[in-house]
Amino acid sequence: MRIEHCYFCSGNVYPGHGTAFVRNDSKYFRFCSSKCHKNFKMKRNPRKLRWTKAFRKAAGKEMTIDSTLEFEKRRHVPVRYNRQLVAATLKAMNRVGEIRKRREVAFWKNRMAANSQRRKLADKKEVSKSINLLPGIKASAKAAASAQTVKQKVKVPAKRSNLASAGGSGQKMSMDMD
Amino acid sequence: MPGPSRRSRTGASKRDIHRASRTRARTKDLDQVQLEDLLPENKAKLENQPLDETLPGLGQHYCIECARYFESDVALKGHTKTKVHRRRLKDLKEPAYTQAEADAAVGLGVDKTQRSLNNDGQAIKIDS
Repeated sequence: MRIEHCYFCSGNVYPGHGTAFVRNDSKYFRFCSSKCHKNFKMKRNPRKLRWTKAFRKAAGKEMTIDSTLEFEKRRHVPVRYNRQLVAATLKAMNRVGEIRKRREVAFWKNRMAANSQRRKLADKKEVSKSINLLPGIKASAKAAASAQTVKQKVKVPAKRSNLASAGGSGQKMSMDMD
Repeated sequence: MPGPSRRSRTGASKRDIHRASRTRARTKDLDQVQLEDLLPENKAKLENQPLDETLPGLGQHYCIECARYFESDVALKGHTKTKVHRRRLKDLKEPAYTQAEADAAVGLGVDKTQRSLNNDGQAIKIDS
């Protein structure tokens, strides 16, 4: 039994499921669902649709270069049954799955790391910008707030650049984490 | 609204999308053009096609990138300046999407080393 992958979204296609299309140059296209088939017929590029795996990889949303992604291989030569090999493989599969899961979490955290800072800055800006909406704030307070915003505006680019460099080094670190 | 009408270039002018997507009305895919038609030997063949009365312009004016026949050289030349054609050229610049990329996206590769090794990890002797 072979579990194929959808041409469009890379989802699993189990035997007896999905649709297949054979083009007149005898190329075989498998689709997990009518959605994928229809999108193919409309000649859409899977790399440009956000819901496909191809997009997520191409846009850096998921790990691409990782040793845990190197294990699953299509082997065109059948392997003779060997009890020990099966046991070892099953053990390895679990272990690799564990490691990959951990790395994926680390990758996601790293990808999202800059967001909280960015959100905080945006919130601060919003507050300073619309401080006059708060009841009972005097003109002097307003002036102080606006002065603060001026100060912040100078600070922002410096902070951002620090963040960017930290993010970059963090990404590299996550790759060799185990 | 001023300016030329864009009706011919958008999907809005398509009378029936389902008709256009029938298998018999299927046009060439980007990967077919990129990986086959644009190869030098195939390109030469497509540029010098034999006369065919069933094709527009007897099959003498063919745009390889768009996989389309035109009635005359004037029409073909006019076509190469259009937005549709230039957009097509832009799409062809990117490497074609293949099943291999779909598989790679879920971490599935092809093990080519296995072909020359048997189960004990030794090279298979092929009698020729």
